[in-house]
Amino acid sequence: MFKKQITLKEPKGMDAARFGFFMILPALVFLLFIIIFPLLASIYLSLSEWSPLTGGGTRWYEAYKFWGWLSNYWNILRDADFLMSIVRTFIIVAVVVPVEFFIGLGLAFLFRDNFVGKKIFHSIILMPMMIVPAVAGFVFYMLFQAQGPVNAVLSVFAFKEVSILWLQGTWSAMIAIMIADIWQWSPFMFLILLSGLMALPEDQINAALILGASKWQRFRMVLFPLMKPVIVIALIFRGMEAVKIFDAIWLMTTGGPGTATESISVYMYKHGFKHLRWSWVAAGGIIILIIITLISMQALKPIKEREEEQAA
Amino acid sequence: MANIVLDKLVKRFGKQVAVNELSLEIKDREFVAILGPSGCGKTTTMNMISGLLKPDAGTVRFDGSVMNNIPPGKRGVGFMFQNYAVFTYLSVYDNIAFGLRIRKMETEQIDKEVQEVARLLQIRHLLSMPASNLSINDMQKVALARSMVVKPQIFLLDEPLSNLDAALRNVMRAELKKIQQELGQTTVYVTHDQVEAMSLADRIAVMNFAVLQQYDAPHNIYNRPKNLFVANFIGSPTINFFEGRYRGGEFNLKDFSAGKMSVSKENKKQVDDSIRGEDIVLGIRPEHLKVGSSRDGVSGLKAKIVSVEPLGSKTIVYMHPDGNPSAILKSSMDSDFKPKIGEMTSLIINEKNLYLFDKKSADLVMRFGS
Repeated sequence: MFKKQITLKEPKGMDAARFGFFMILPALVFLLFIIIFPLLASIYLSLSEWSPLTGGGTRWYEAYKFWGWLSNYWNILRDADFLMSIVRTFIIVAVVVPVEFFIGLGLAFLFRDNFVGKKIFHSIILMPMMIVPAVAGFVFYMLFQAQGPVNAVLSVFAFKEVSILWLQGTWSAMIAIMIADIWQWSPFMFLILLSGLMALPEDQINAALILGASKWQRFRMVLFPLMKPVIVIALIFRGMEAVKIFDAIWLMTTGGPGTATESISVYMYKHGFKHLRWSWVAAGGIIILIIITLISMQALKPIKEREEEQAA
Repeated sequence: MANIVLDKLVKRFGKQVAVNELSLEIKDREFVAILGPSGCGKTTTMNMISGLLKPDAGTVRFDGSVMNNIPPGKRGVGFMFQNYAVFTYLSVYDNIAFGLRIRKMETEQIDKEVQEVARLLQIRHLLSMPASNLSINDMQKVALARSMVVKPQIFLLDEPLSNLDAALRNVMRAELKKIQQELGQTTVYVTHDQVEAMSLADRIAVMNFAVLQQYDAPHNIYNRPKNLFVANFIGSPTINFFEGRYRGGEFNLKDFSAGKMSVSKENKKQVDDSIRGEDIVLGIRPEHLKVGSSRDGVSGLKAKIVSVEPLGSKTIVYMHPDGNPSAILKSSMDSDFKPKIGEMTSLIINEKNLYLFDKKSADLVMRFGS
């Protein structure tokens, strides 16, 4: 890599480590402010029973006057709506992420070969990702109306009038939301997987070809193992994003009918801004943070092990 | 066993012609090197033999059967890539077993074959290691083992030594030659390194600008180069060229103030018979061009010594001919020769070492002394 080392002159009487520390100090302070402060404020709030209605407007820092210790945690963990929103969110993630992965992978493989109009199709496929999620949500809200285009198309295939109340049924609403999410985020998978695919060492694939590997064998024995790191990263990125699903749900069903499509984010939004239960939501947020951290650590394990292997 | 026949192969990339009407016959068990500067079409030729590329015209035949539409995996070729293309995510064992597993061989048989080839290449101790942790020469052996284990009839090597350092390259060169002689496969070896080609190959195909220049044994390539390109490409330091005219038994060389050189009586008739035009280029290899005044064969040609490279076994002397200070002559002298820089010296040329080329066609007209 870079053979030449650039050396800065250190001020006298200061070792390199301390000099470095002072150099990054301004950035560090800024980072602490935007990351640590909200976290500490959340923890502080979650241990109280303060709310703007009981605690006098926005004076959240006076929450100690309404101290409740772990009461919020105790109560929210027995709140069926909260627990269901977690379960529901993970159902959505478990469905949409694999579907988006396979769609993205399939498209990426198609785009390895050259064909007429490749560039145009490339742009068209990426388009959903560029659209503002709220706009996409609204578009799907229109599509899934009882008299909307989705039912109209289904009517053609069913040879009779179809008028499913998509967004009014418990499961049909979930399906509609998942379809919207898959439509919008498959391109993201496609983009990551395609770039991973294009970066593969051509010679290894050719070596397998000369050794007699069929198309499927080349995929299973060469391409897939080579792609593994990219695949893991794509799944983690998309998974972490999918857990936060909000826009599409809010515009299509606002979490309804009832609470049938409430994801974690929708639940938080409703309780935080509609019911103004700030400390309640803070406790919920901390619980979610712990869950997500534990899952991510597990998911990132193979990558970390790989890095350590390469460093060794 | 297999012989290879390439018949008028053509490959274009867009408007660029990468290989133009290449015809080549490689005998069974022969070791042939395709030699040329980068971009001459040698790797493209190799890829057409392996099947990774389809020729736009012409045929590739193994043992008489046309291979053009046979996929690479069914041609019975082994291919070693320049960067070895070892599967880094697998162990050494799994790398070598790769081709056998594709052939759905029994596990016990696979184990036998892998152990056998590992023993031959002395990499048994590496079998359980992940291939990503190998040193470059072990990686090369694994790549070799992987293609050898499926027993290809034809072995294709694409610059296999170019990633190694100089010392290791010599060792691996000898090793490759030994293995090829033991196994006796027909081998095609692509390289830009003339030393590799000269030392390994039974025959060398020299290519330039997509065209085959000469296809002959190493000795003939060196001593009877077909044209100026081959003469210039083979040999280190490169051959010296003198441009000039031939008229009435006398060469008149442009770069020298007293540039007259007469041809001896024995050779005059042959030159007169074979010469095609007045404009000629004379070639002489550095090891045949000596300097000094004390020896026989001192010509009237003079040159100024500008630089000296003592290489230990010999000393390379660089000179400007006295009529053209931008031209450079090279002479390979004994290592005890101690020239003075800036000195004007005489060139010693023995007529039998001269190559005579026609300037217009660039072809060799005759080789004196043979």
